Amino acid sequence: MSSVEAHHSFAPYEPERQITFKGTVADYQWTNPHVYIELDAPDETGEVRRWLIECANTSILSRVGWTWNMVKVGDEIDVIVAPLRNGEPAALLKSIRLADGRVFSNGGPAGRATISFAD
Amino acid sequence: MTMTLRASSAAVAAVFAALALGEASHAQQSAAEAAEADAVVRGLNGTWDRYPNRFSVMEPDTNPPPAPQPIPDPPLKAEYLAAWRAEQARIAELTEQGLPPANNYSACVPDGMPAMMQGMFPMEVLETPGQITIIQEAYNQVRRIYLDETPLAPENAEPRFAGHSVGRWEGSTLVVETVGVKDYVEFRNVPHSANMRIVERLRLVDDEYMENEVTVIDPEYMTEPWTWTWMYRRWPGYKIHEYICEDNRYYRDPELGYQRLRIE
Repeated sequence: MSSVEAHHSFAPYEPERQITFKGTVADYQWTNPHVYIELDAPDETGEVRRWLIECANTSILSRVGWTWNMVKVGDEIDVIVAPLRNGEPAALLKSIRLADGRVFSNGGPAGRATISFAD
Repeated sequence: MTMTLRASSAAVAAVFAALALGEASHAQQSAAEAAEADAVVRGLNGTWDRYPNRFSVMEPDTNPPPAPQPIPDPPLKAEYLAAWRAEQARIAELTEQGLPPANNYSACVPDGMPAMMQGMFPMEVLETPGQITIIQEAYNQVRRIYLDETPLAPENAEPRFAGHSVGRWEGSTLVVETVGVKDYVEFRNVPHSANMRIVERLRLVDDEYMENEVTVIDPEYMTEPWTWTWMYRRWPGYKIHEYICEDNRYYRDPELGYQRLRIE
């Protein structure tokens, strides 16, 4: 029952496929019903794309160690995400690695990372 | 004038006498307050998480109580049951396709009663004289249960998300009756009439667990009462977060009606 786990269903995101990439934080928005990170990352051709990375809400993230100010604009971070099924540049976060190497999940309901960071 | 002075002197003397007795009367007052507090606090105070919660970040319990039974399908009358089953199937199929239909919750509309008592997010219970207040973290929802008041007649109850609740203690069980839930506030997509009543029986299983036996009574829609049990586990030290739907980027896709993410 997705309704027992979150503000909305996670069905718009790829249920199985996960990808990882590095990017530069363009925005970090600590709000409800979701926390959002906008991340600039080069695609296969080298062109920079802006990704909207959906995180859980402020209380779920606080419970797994996040703080409201742990990410800053300009930070280089790595993410493991499940992209939207429809190909738009947005994704559901599974795991985040900060510039200082600390790794955080996106809380239980969003599901685990099933792949590793690239390096 | 003289009378006034005398009166003032008497008043001053009374104040001094009160000051001299201050310590003793303060002690008496505290004892009275403590007695009153004992009378109203029956152990529900505190912060609670739903149980079981497979995402709980609390230490696992070494000897957890049995989980409640799954919620049965609603005993809707035949003419409503078929439509309800068809809608459940439609939601499941669209969700499978990655197009989950938009709903109140995805639109940041609070889930109200009885859904808010499933404990999607932690909740806080406050016992004060004459009132029990339940705060559900999601959407900052608050319900106030007035003790030992006469329930409102449904036709006199302004429709609300949490409805109107009155409670009474039957021994160590808090029995709460709720009426006046808005018509589009539906639990599990189950329709209800303006006369729906919800009866909850809350009791501590032990110091750490609480159960809530919920019964929905709505003869216009149902052949019999719909009953299930929710359980909660005490979460010492947890502080309820603020939850304002400040920037909901999910909107209802105008063509397909699904929960769509706004990307700027």
